[in-house]
Amino acid sequence: MISVNNIYKYFGDLKVLNGVSCEIEKGERIVIIGPSGSGKSTLLRCMNLLEHPTYGEVWVSSKLLTPPDPYLHFDVIKKSKTYNSLFEQLKAENPNLSDNELEEMAIKKIKAEDLLKKYEGSEYKKALKQITKDFGIDINLARQNMGMVFQHFNLFNNLTVIDNLTLAPVQLGLKTKEEAEKTAMELLKRINLEDKRDEYPSKLSGGQKQRIAIVRALAMSPDVMLFDEPTSALDPEMVGEVLDLIKELANEGMTMVIVTHEMGFAREVGTRVLFMDGGVIAEEGAPSELFDNPKNPRTVQFLKAVL
Amino acid sequence: MNFFEKIFELFSTEKYMDIIFEGFKTTVIISVFAAILGLLIGTMVALVSISEVSPVTKVLKAICKVYITIIRGTPMALQLFIMAYVIFTFRGFPEEVTAIIAFGINSGAYVAENIRGGILSVDIGQTEAGRALGLTSRVTMFKIVIPQAIKNVIPAIGNELIALIKETSIVSMIGMFDLTMAAKIIGSGNNMASYVVPMSVVALFYLAIVYLLTFAIKLIEKRLRASDKR
Ligand SMILES: Nc1ncnc2c1ncn2[C@@H]1O[C@H](COP(=O)(O)OP(=O)(O)OP(=O)(O)O)[C@@H](O)[C@H]1O
Ligand SMILES: [Mg+2]
Repeated sequence: MISVNNIYKYFGDLKVLNGVSCEIEKGERIVIIGPSGSGKSTLLRCMNLLEHPTYGEVWVSSKLLTPPDPYLHFDVIKKSKTYNSLFEQLKAENPNLSDNELEEMAIKKIKAEDLLKKYEGSEYKKALKQITKDFGIDINLARQNMGMVFQHFNLFNNLTVIDNLTLAPVQLGLKTKEEAEKTAMELLKRINLEDKRDEYPSKLSGGQKQRIAIVRALAMSPDVMLFDEPTSALDPEMVGEVLDLIKELANEGMTMVIVTHEMGFAREVGTRVLFMDGGVIAEEGAPSELFDNPKNPRTVQFLKAVL
Repeated sequence: MNFFEKIFELFSTEKYMDIIFEGFKTTVIISVFAAILGLLIGTMVALVSISEVSPVTKVLKAICKVYITIIRGTPMALQLFIMAYVIFTFRGFPEEVTAIIAFGINSGAYVAENIRGGILSVDIGQTEAGRALGLTSRVTMFKIVIPQAIKNVIPAIGNELIALIKETSIVSMIGMFDLTMAAKIIGSGNNMASYVVPMSVVALFYLAIVYLLTFAIKLIEKRLRASDKR
């Protein structure tokens, strides 16, 4: 469903993601844990392109969200001027090697030394364009199927609860106003907040806000939900109601990616846990495996500190 | 005759009142239309300056930046002179229009900065939530960010409009007949033979306009705040 391909993310000179790849299948519930600043939020936000990866590709439902990364397409690299001249040069230097070996060598060198330039000839440009044409998708369209829940809720402050839920479906032409309101009321009923329909967010408690933010995302009937520390900004007594709602979604089979510091919840809900450290996935595995039997010393150290 | 009798005389002399109302009309016309023009320009410039960078907006952004820098960096009187004596020099060009354009362009720069600040002051999370739902940047801007920004900028824009009204008093420098000029004309006449009285009366008129505007802004602010029931 989501495929993250060797992404790097720089903020200026700060390298926050250092070559991250992961595959998320339909129905999986991925939990991302790790120390502060390790790049968890950045990775999550790259999945719906709220952050643009500096290098690498993000695929969702077989559609390419990012621009194509030439380094991930051998056939594209082979069309570059750099490759062709390098190939000739290597061939002259190593007359006894086969073409296949030379090809491998050239590609390896280009990738290792980041040799591709902005302009690599028209063939190369055409090949990249073709990838976008075949697999690219309008990011707004892609996002309609990916719900996101933020640490700080981000309910629209200028809109009532009901308008928060209906704005996107109506604006995007997915539903009429009446249909959208009907769905919204069903969702509000589900979280027992139908009496709040005409309130503004400023009148709600944190737990209520976050539950409404979750159903706002659900109102789009997304294929996958991304959660960035959904309970970190909540008073302790409100954490439970939000986690319960997420668990409910999990039981219904929703595909989810959850960044969290709630280890008990991570173990209970996750089907797979990714431990991030220093901009890479340092370890991953089933919750029982990773929590009870961590292999990486950094994971051990982290879990010791938080558990 | 003392000061108050003179004031009474001014108010009861039709000739004087005609002059004052003539000037009042000019001041109001220039202020109102310049304000509208300024708000339009200001909004557009602000939208350009916060828009995403693209080859097209890059040029527009540069133009807007130069515009704001020049307008805010030079005196209003000079801008008015340039408008009247360099740009709209052809005969018969209505001088009200010259003044409206000069003041509109001037206040546009200040309004733009206010609006830009107001938009930037809206939590980035609001935009991210809109974009994450698949809304375009345009819809997010107009349905979510700008409605919240307006509340933040109304007081600043109100101040800008008040400054604009008072600043229009310099149109007499290009020979226009506004409220300030009216006071000057009455004061230099034989009968009144004093500037104090007409200037005081005219001051009252300015005060009245500004007070009305302040009141209107307070009203708008209150309405806007009612809608988010904080
Ligand atoms: N927009 C940004 N501009 C500059 N630096 C950023 C930006 N966003 C994040 N960073 C930096 O990137 C690093 C990783 O940030 P990220 O938010 O992904 O960490 P995290 O693992 O989610 O941490 P936390 O648990 O504290 O949320 C941090 O050092 C952060 O300061
Ligand atoms: Mg984070």
